[in-house]
Amino acid sequence: MINIVLVESSSILTEGLIGILNKSELKCQVTICPSFDDLEQILFRKKYDFLIVNPSFILSNPKYFKTLKSQHNNLKTIGLIYSWYDPKNLYLFDGLITISETPDIIISNIKKLLEDTSENDQNALQEVLSNRETDVLKLLATGLANKEIADKLNISTHTVISHRKNISQKTGIKSVSGLTIYAVVQKLVSIDSISD
Amino acid sequence: MFQTNNIYITSDLKMSDIIFNNPYLLHLAEHFGMNVPVKDKSVKKLCEENDLNPELFLTFANLYNGVKYTPKDPLTHHDILNIIKYLKNNHKFYTDEIYPNILRTIHQMAEINDHKEMALVPRFFLDYFNEVAEHLEYENKVVHPYVLELYEQRINPTSTRKPQIYSAKEYQEHHSDIEDKLNDLKNLLIKYLPYKDDQILRRKLILKLFDLENDLNIHSQIEELILIPLVSEMESQLNKSK
Repeated sequence: MINIVLVESSSILTEGLIGILNKSELKCQVTICPSFDDLEQILFRKKYDFLIVNPSFILSNPKYFKTLKSQHNNLKTIGLIYSWYDPKNLYLFDGLITISETPDIIISNIKKLLEDTSENDQNALQEVLSNRETDVLKLLATGLANKEIADKLNISTHTVISHRKNISQKTGIKSVSGLTIYAVVQKLVSIDSISD
Repeated sequence: MFQTNNIYITSDLKMSDIIFNNPYLLHLAEHFGMNVPVKDKSVKKLCEENDLNPELFLTFANLYNGVKYTPKDPLTHHDILNIIKYLKNNHKFYTDEIYPNILRTIHQMAEINDHKEMALVPRFFLDYFNEVAEHLEYENKVVHPYVLELYEQRINPTSTRKPQIYSAKEYQEHHSDIEDKLNDLKNLLIKYLPYKDDQILRRKLILKLFDLENDLNIHSQIEELILIPLVSEMESQLNKSK
């Protein structure tokens, strides 16, 4: 689920953008924030992936916007552009949506930003583990350390770590002990083969 | 717990009204030593009766409601004793009540659900519980005494300064560990562990885990957003006066 907060006072624009997002294959949840004053409050409550904002809200106080960005470093910011702005002010955003763009382009721009967030994010949208990830998980569940797994599979420790990240993203489980139970449930390892 | 219409709490509201709005505030009141029934007393009145700075209560209470509150006068070292009191009572609530209670429910569920993978869950939780207990013990035995020591020196700056033993960073890492395993268990229960006649116990367990997670989340926000800044401030004040 992609969590988006949308700062825009025009309902034509908010409704329109939400419509485009809902029709796309992205699974989004959009929170509308009609004024910039309430934004801090909203961002405080929950983790958001994207902040889509009408630039006129922030150009009056770019310093505050920068502070906000530094407080929420995983938050990607997108400017929602429907009038002319001095281009040098728009560099504050991670991406831009222009209202003259087609839905396809808007969605693909958002996707591009999503890919930036994590190199393997696209992959992680599906829950099924790849063969290699399954191999790593099996060895992990039998109590091997990253280095030992790397040696067994003839891959680098770095690759093992990257596989583990993907496994955790797909399953929602981060700890080794939690992943071990998952591996038993999925019948990847037998309960007798897990080390104490 | 996931009420989205929680109110912004001010000191002239009645304590009973804010509890009706968000009953989880009962935990907060209890940790500060305020007990129900609260009659029709205002937040301000109850704080006065309990020697508690109303601004401190409001900061915490609004955090429970998911609202960011900026105290009218910034919190100071004078609030330290009550912050530590809250944290200590909250620790006791975890170790004596919540975790054992969840563990019992897990055992009951494992009795009904005889899938072999279910047998791994009590062990998983017990290991996790021990880690948490160890962390809380560290805070009780090392962090809190250090903070209280700082406080004593702040109000009576004659004794010599103790060495720095407290690291905000170490603190945060501990916390994310605690939250990770809890989240792992939620995932296992909601998505993966095979079902066997355990509907009611599983539901109870999941809801308890969500409540605990929410409480832990508030707890670490109090430490990170309120306690740690006050500690740094006391440290720099003491260094100045040296």
